[in-house]
Amino acid sequence: MPKDITLTIDGQTVTAPAGTLVVDAAKRIGINIPVFCYHPKLEPVGMCRMCLVEIGRPVIDRTTNNPVFEADGKPKIQFGPKLETACTTPISEGMVVVGLSDKVKAARKDVLEFLLTSHPLDCPICDKGGECPLQNQTLEYGSADSRFLLDEKMRLSKHVPLGDLIFLDRERCIQCARCVRFQTEIVDDPVIGFYNRGRKLEIITDSQPGFDSIFSGNTTDICPVGALTTADFRFGARPWEMNNAASLCTHCPVGCNTTINVRREAKTGGNVSIKRIMPRQNETVNEIWMCDKGRFAYHFADSPDRLKNPLIRKGSELFQTTWTEALSAASEKIKQAGSGLVTLASGRLTNEDIYNLRKLTETQGGTFIGYSRMAGGEIVNRFGMLPGSNLGDLGKDSVIVVVSSDLHEEAPIWWLRVREAVKRGAVLISISIRPTRLDKIAAKTLRVEPGREALAVDAILTGDMADIVKQAKHLLVFYGSDGLGRKATGQLAAACARLLETSGHARRINSGLIPVWERGNTQGLWDMGAHPADQIVERIASARVLLVAGADPANDDPMMERALEKTEFLIVQDLFATATARKADIVFPVLAFTEREGTYTSGERRVQRFYPAVPAPEGLKADYEIAAEMGAELGLALESSAASLVFQQLAAEIPQYSGLTYPLLAKTSDQWPIVGRPDVYFGGTSYANRQGLGIHLPLLPLEDFEIPSGDLDMSLHPDAHELAVYPVTRLLDRGITVTTSPLLASRLAQADLFIHPATARKMFLNADMQVMLPVDGAAYPVRIVLDETVPEGAALIPRSAGVPIHEPQVAQVAPPVGDHASRVRS
Amino acid sequence: MNEFFVQNTEAIQKILSAYPAGNKRPAVMPLLYLAQRTNGFIQKKTLDEIAEILEITPTEVASIVGFYTLYHDEPGGRYHLQVCTDLPCALRGADRFLQDLCDNLGIKVGETTADGLITIEEVKCLAGCHHAPLFQVQGDGDISYHEDQTVDAAMQLIAELKKKAAEREGTNA
Ligand code: SF4
Ligand code: SF4
Ligand code: FES
Ligand code: FES
Repeated sequence: MPKDITLTIDGQTVTAPAGTLVVDAAKRIGINIPVFCYHPKLEPVGMCRMCLVEIGRPVIDRTTNNPVFEADGKPKIQFGPKLETACTTPISEGMVVVGLSDKVKAARKDVLEFLLTSHPLDCPICDKGGECPLQNQTLEYGSADSRFLLDEKMRLSKHVPLGDLIFLDRERCIQCARCVRFQTEIVDDPVIGFYNRGRKLEIITDSQPGFDSIFSGNTTDICPVGALTTADFRFGARPWEMNNAASLCTHCPVGCNTTINVRREAKTGGNVSIKRIMPRQNETVNEIWMCDKGRFAYHFADSPDRLKNPLIRKGSELFQTTWTEALSAASEKIKQAGSGLVTLASGRLTNEDIYNLRKLTETQGGTFIGYSRMAGGEIVNRFGMLPGSNLGDLGKDSVIVVVSSDLHEEAPIWWLRVREAVKRGAVLISISIRPTRLDKIAAKTLRVEPGREALAVDAILTGDMADIVKQAKHLLVFYGSDGLGRKATGQLAAACARLLETSGHARRINSGLIPVWERGNTQGLWDMGAHPADQIVERIASARVLLVAGADPANDDPMMERALEKTEFLIVQDLFATATARKADIVFPVLAFTEREGTYTSGERRVQRFYPAVPAPEGLKADYEIAAEMGAELGLALESSAASLVFQQLAAEIPQYSGLTYPLLAKTSDQWPIVGRPDVYFGGTSYANRQGLGIHLPLLPLEDFEIPSGDLDMSLHPDAHELAVYPVTRLLDRGITVTTSPLLASRLAQADLFIHPATARKMFLNADMQVMLPVDGAAYPVRIVLDETVPEGAALIPRSAGVPIHEPQVAQVAPPVGDHASRVRS
Repeated sequence: MNEFFVQNTEAIQKILSAYPAGNKRPAVMPLLYLAQRTNGFIQKKTLDEIAEILEITPTEVASIVGFYTLYHDEPGGRYHLQVCTDLPCALRGADRFLQDLCDNLGIKVGETTADGLITIEEVKCLAGCHHAPLFQVQGDGDISYHEDQTVDAAMQLIAELKKKAAEREGTNA
């Protein structure tokens, strides 16, 4: 621990650890030293000079090394001849900081006058106006006049697209370098930079595509002016016209805390519409960041293609119907089916939805199945992170193992936070079948043959990293499904748990297992009692009634698609008329997460609450309500009136959730750095968290639990003329939650088959060749992409990019013959 | 294919060998010099190739080109005459000097004379403030400083440069 240092700032005494910067010490006691370039998450650079203060230090007698005292007994303080930047000066014992003197006021005024010499002052049409640090600080510290000549203002371009997502207004930039530093320091994508010098300085991007970073939106938050804006929000609304609701990102298991800004507007017929999604501070989850998928891929919620009415099948077609008719028809069928009811629920649903669906299914004696391509939830519930753990606390003395997950693509904010931990000294071991962005920061990269990931984990404690792992205070293990099927992920989770147990890290703080689930609430799915099942195809085919909620098996897997034909009666709850919904006998349209409340549980096992952002559209219901109303027809008393009441019931039943309530989930505490407060401005427009930090779940007891054993070798053994095809995950896939946001269109994953050039030669394949890839009895056109990083004999294909491939499999690709392609598909 | 590398393999390897393995980044400066000496200016394609060689992003290389007034990413004249007009120089009349020089040559700041020989540029501090007005001339792989200048002296120098160029080309322009 650094030692504490005491100083005075504007007459107030402050004690803070050595190394603290003057500006931070001041903000901690509520004294605002204005800043532009300084950001507490970035290294200080002292570029803007806004934070100038007077600093005095105690005079030391050089001969005796003792402080010199004034006649009145107070230490003698010597002030420097010039003002100093509070953002680059660390505190020292006895320091006296003056931020209120005339000298300081004059300096701030001058700095602002300089900054404004070439600023366009187009606040009335600027997106930042109303939440702009430059605007606010000019009002508070600046002058109304300028001594500079209007005619000599720089005129620069105002609508520069830096890529598809971010626009730059060159005139507004005050050259603070926050954006450039964020891209370099925090996310290691130095794809924007400064060009030229002095007044001519401009932000540029030279990457292909422009501003090629999945974190680009964050720069618009921390830019202290309206120079950077998102293509999604620019000119969309004024900040003061918008209301906000606390929400969560649903795209991945990180569970970033967000704020949804909404406004009533004429454009949408006087309805409340979503204008933008912003990060909401949660220092244990996403800090003040979010990725571009979370920020921009929300338009599925306001898509015009959403289902608006219940549908019922009459003959070969689906017709609109009333809720009463649909509910009674559905429950009638469920009643008849009895134990022939099979329910598939996915990690897209909230805890409340899943709980009610399980109750409905179980009381009929039916089978409740978690629809997930990953296994290991029961292991995670016993070997996960302990409450109180925080990725932000990992550093020296920590080892992080990431196996079979490209965190940068699958859970971007975890990648960012692992990288920060490595910067603080954590040792990263990266285990995967192909290179990922983790390799660059890993102390050790283990490239393994596909299918042998679990074996590699098992071997860690006998390998060259064994001592480092054993001696580490904290050991955190991420496991994912890159190139793995469901069974293999289960074996992998078991191997990881054994590693934690053998190394002595199991159930210790800041240690444990984190699953990189494929959906935002897959952890909740496990917790609510929905586990993936074997023989899912057979179960679908033999179900008397199949209830599918938040999943689209017909689109995911041709075998499931065919099995659905055999299902006697199919009920679907969804936002869209998915391939599965189109086969259904009854379709219930559901509310999007923006229109309701609920809870999700993140991969770190933090239960978090989200709130309605827009009013629920007429005629739609939440999934838990639909389940409860079907239940009511069957004489079940399930809660349908409020998510909070469902939560009360589930908290009473599910041990880890015991004692939790909505008010508890809404609790917050002070966080550092301070963001979102105009009085002590720091951090950009990220929102302060006033609606809940969530609660980290306790682990389940270990008694009676054995880590499953079994064959760890999951390799495929293709013949010479075959390929072993492994599905991998891309951040921007072609799932409906992404494709509904057209801004992201140019970056979506394609149906490409990545193979090693040597493999291509052996199989007579060439780059860009179109071939047919057979998957479970159907064949799909894919394009060959040569990639030397792919293991020989293997082929990688992005999931949800046009080819429904769930599990690794052996396949023999064939060139399309004539119109063969279309024939096979139909 | 990395043409820049292929065409200058030996020189590039020599430059890279001066830096510790695993830290190629600082070699960006000599590589840019090399590119500029070879082509007269740094083409976008070469810039990308340098980024590839050094394993940094093209944006980072472009930023460096943009920062230094000695690098050019657009074709210009054979000689770049770069006049400092930063504050100290401006106080000693550099603005006026630059304007008069341009008027004499019949071009604007940033433009090149019709014969393609002289480009006039305005730059930031050249660290010779006490000898303003001053400029530097960059060309033929060389840089020279010219301090305490007058327009007449500068025009004379330009005449010499033109003569030198003509001699080297063996023509009598
Ligand atoms: S664009 Fe914004 S964040 Fe970037 S340097 Fe300019 S003012 Fe700073
Ligand atoms: S990291 Fe995950 S949870 Fe966070 S914004 Fe991105 S997709 Fe959403
Ligand atoms: S110089 Fe301190 S905030 Fe910019
Ligand atoms: S200001 Fe011109 S050389 Fe320094």
